Amino acid sequence: MNVLSSTAHASAGPTAEAAPFAAPPRPPRRRRRSSIGHPRITPYLFLLPTIVLFLGFKLYPYLSAFWTSLTSNIGGVITFVGLDNYLRLLEDPLFYKALGNTALILVVQVPLMLGLGIVLSVAFNSLLLKGRAFFRMAFFVPIVMGLVAYGILFSALFDSSAGIVNELLGYVGIGPIPWLVDPFWAKISIVLAMTWHYTGQNAIIYLAQLQSIPGELYEAAQVDGANGWQRFVNITLSGLRPALLLTVVLSTIGTLQLFDEPYVLTNGGPDNATLTVGMYLYQNGFKYFDFGYASAIGYALTVIIAVVSLIQFRLFRERAPKPISPKKSMSPKEKTR
Amino acid sequence: MRFTLNKRARGMAVTAAAVASVAALVGCSATAADDGATDGDVSGKITIWTWNAPGDGLEAAVPAFQKLYPDVEVDVQDVGNPAIWEKITTGMAAGGQGLPDVLNIGIDYMGNYVEQFPGELVDLREFGADSLEPEFPSGAWKSGSGADGAVYGIPYEVNATGFFYRSDIFEEAGIDIDSIETWDQLIDAGVIIKEKTGVPLYNQDKAATEADSAGLWQLQTALQDSFYFDESGDITMNGDAGVTSLELIKKANDLGIVGDVQGSWDNLLAQLRGEKPTAIMPAGGWMAGVMENEAPEMAGNWGVRLPPSVEPGGITAAVNGGTYLSIPTASKNQKTAWEFVNFALGTLEGQKLVYEGGGMFPGYKPMLESEGFAAPSEYFDGQSPNAIFIAELEQDTPVLNYTSDYARALKAYTDAQTRVLLSGADPQQALDEAADQVVQQTGRKLAD
Repeated sequence: MNVLSSTAHASAGPTAEAAPFAAPPRPPRRRRRSSIGHPRITPYLFLLPTIVLFLGFKLYPYLSAFWTSLTSNIGGVITFVGLDNYLRLLEDPLFYKALGNTALILVVQVPLMLGLGIVLSVAFNSLLLKGRAFFRMAFFVPIVMGLVAYGILFSALFDSSAGIVNELLGYVGIGPIPWLVDPFWAKISIVLAMTWHYTGQNAIIYLAQLQSIPGELYEAAQVDGANGWQRFVNITLSGLRPALLLTVVLSTIGTLQLFDEPYVLTNGGPDNATLTVGMYLYQNGFKYFDFGYASAIGYALTVIIAVVSLIQFRLFRERAPKPISPKKSMSPKEKTR
Repeated sequence: MRFTLNKRARGMAVTAAAVASVAALVGCSATAADDGATDGDVSGKITIWTWNAPGDGLEAAVPAFQKLYPDVEVDVQDVGNPAIWEKITTGMAAGGQGLPDVLNIGIDYMGNYVEQFPGELVDLREFGADSLEPEFPSGAWKSGSGADGAVYGIPYEVNATGFFYRSDIFEEAGIDIDSIETWDQLIDAGVIIKEKTGVPLYNQDKAATEADSAGLWQLQTALQDSFYFDESGDITMNGDAGVTSLELIKKANDLGIVGDVQGSWDNLLAQLRGEKPTAIMPAGGWMAGVMENEAPEMAGNWGVRLPPSVEPGGITAAVNGGTYLSIPTASKNQKTAWEFVNFALGTLEGQKLVYEGGGMFPGYKPMLESEGFAAPSEYFDGQSPNAIFIAELEQDTPVLNYTSDYARALKAYTDAQTRVLLSGADPQQALDEAADQVVQQTGRKLAD
């Protein structure tokens, strides 16, 4: 940290003040000279571990899965079948059902979660909140929770006969809700579990962005007579735009790939009410041993995600109003993402 | 099918491990060191994948085996059921990477593994396993063998259907269980039982979100000499027999005499112990052993008999699955693995130890005929479950053709049943939809 900031300082100082002198060319020359002693491949050597890991654990599976999606296991022999798996997918009612379920959960859960995340982040950022560190921590902790513990916890909470949630609802006279065993409520359970799991993470992302909004803007707005709501909409929300884009895209991708929650809570049931594309892929691969078809589902999902993300990027960019003044200070951050 | 105590936890852990091992490049994943044992020696360490009760049985045979071969170490691993199937699938899809030396494989998965992953299981004729063939029931032996006679698994459990009932509850309701001959009569009795004792006739996982929940339908359909597929592999699940079964299930449910209990091992035990009571419990023969071991305090309250028929005078015997011990070709210690399998399942000494340890109903004929095997049981109030199972296995039970698409058919059926039980769907229509789905997924055709 210190080293970085001091060098930044050192280079910024002389260049700004002593521009007419020969100072600026010097650092590049020095760098070039120093590279003579070292082979030019040095940076690549440093990158090598990452490149090898990427090739082995990312690119290879991608290519291998694509090849697999063009094959089928016929009588124990892996056979090239061209686009058969994709054509079958187009006529598969369960695939459409899985897509529909996923889309429904997406449309309900992502706005709910992000809305809550914004509210939470504003609260976390508020000077009125005592014990802020504790609350920030408490809301962030669920994201750290492992899949197994998560599954056990929510199964216990949502159990229809002996679950804690129904027990508590019983005290206020709301009577047992078939959380995980009814097609409608099973979807609700998934939405609730996801919201619990991921809201804190989004709130923390918003919080980071909020802290880069200068306080003077609020003061200035107040002086101009803007009320609280106007300040929230015009300063807070506008300032959050880059974080919003990030979280909307990430949450959408995450939900489209949804697997954990239905897997641990409902097994995709009852009657496929919580079957997601991820679950369907898993069933075909690991239950039915149909790896070719499972890979085709994976690639179809990839295409869908790519298209949806692209649309979201477009929408957010076009809807973005002229950047307000602090936007400049934020743009580098936006770039790094 | 059975489920372990913490099926979910295990399933998840295993899936995580499976995903990790699939991601690992072929060749750099770690395999267990085999202490350098070669094909010829009986030494070193062998690892067995199995689950709770069958694992207890195999564990019980280890000390005696080690007396014969003191150098051998046997590691019996309770991988959990159904997690074991995914774990085996992953290993086979990776060309045998990470598989142990002995696999405990269910009859419903056997054909699938053999068909989908040819060459992954050792043809045990290499070790002279074919000499054991006359010692086992031919149907059970056939399901563990390939079409060409290759032997891929030695029958470990051979399960007839045990129709278990709570004699105390039937008594309290004033119903003579022996007078019941058909499922229709049983359902009528169920209404009286529910009225007088408040106990459901049976419990089902209606939403089927924990387990597949198709056991009852499979039993009733088998009692009508039918299954998901016929012998040529065509789809028969929406035939008359299947529809009749689902109508029986709907009728009982509509009468309000069916409890809703999620399908977990915990819940099964709770039913055996009477904590979540049920009047009847149709299950594989293995349940007799589990009852004695897990619910000893219920001695005298459980009875067992042949299942009622669906049609008056119809079949009253059905096979309820079974399991095999197989050796993957990836095992580096096949000879030792075989010697253990042969000792545990192919000798009377081993069979006795395994049976005492785990209570799995064996297929080994010398064991079935051995003295005291079919003796009356104190637990079952002087009845002999084993005598009933032996009698069932002697009946001409239908051959169940699981095919390589059993898992798909099972899922399609389970969803259909959920629609019927939760949303009142019409059995015929629900089964037609399920059958169409299997056609779409597998390219099989509907039987005429």
